[in-house]
Amino acid sequence: MSKNTENSNESKALPRVSPATDILEREDGFYVFMDLPGVKREDLNIDINENELTVTGRALQGASEAESFLEVQFGPGEYVRAVSLSDRVDRERIKANLKDGVLTVHLPRLEKLAPRRIPVQTA
Amino acid sequence: MVLDFNTIYYPGRFERLIEDFFRPQPGEGRRMAFPPLNLSEDEANYYVRSEIPGLAMDAVELTLTEKSLVIRGERPTEQGKYYRQERPAGFFQRVVALNVPVDRDKVRATLADGVLTVVLPKCESCVPRKISIDVA
Repeated sequence: MSKNTENSNESKALPRVSPATDILEREDGFYVFMDLPGVKREDLNIDINENELTVTGRALQGASEAESFLEVQFGPGEYVRAVSLSDRVDRERIKANLKDGVLTVHLPRLEKLAPRRIPVQTA
Repeated sequence: MVLDFNTIYYPGRFERLIEDFFRPQPGEGRRMAFPPLNLSEDEANYYVRSEIPGLAMDAVELTLTEKSLVIRGERPTEQGKYYRQERPAGFFQRVVALNVPVDRDKVRATLADGVLTVVLPKCESCVPRKISIDVA
């Protein structure tokens, strides 16, 4: 129990960072790219609520205690970013991939919404 | 209306601007240059760490010259219709000046999860040694 509270305190102490995000559209749907350097697969969570996709990840830099820093331009942090989803996204087929610190989320379009011709029947 | 589709507009934008202006920014260095660098040392090594997400090890060019360590590479641009682009793309280069002697043959570099770590061992012969003086 005490360990849990310690962990939550630790995560609270990490500064929250909004990761740099690209959102783009291709023929097969939408793509979201996020820079999450230092985040391991097990520290990454992707949640989908009603129409919001939330990405949270923790990056802990592997510096030992004995090191003294001369220059610090980035540090450990908790990445949090929410992206709102359009109704045209097929929630069942969303795919996510984490490679070299970049998260790629593919949001395919709903196929139902593809234009469809309605045949007219003659009575 | 048109504003609904504009990603730049959001309510409270002006208030946010004022807040940001007066709030001290601990992460100010984050936006300085790409890629951000951390430099540290311990008793045996110097460490250069850098966040370079999206690149494989062979796409990062590391050059160790007499006086400097150069990190170069190119971040590719994705193809498609952009709605939002925040990730830096294109060529980058950062030069770390080394004003200290390092053991050039034992320099190691690793790239894991988008974080580059270069370990530069301190030169053995350059570590200050204590010389004990024996009294005869």
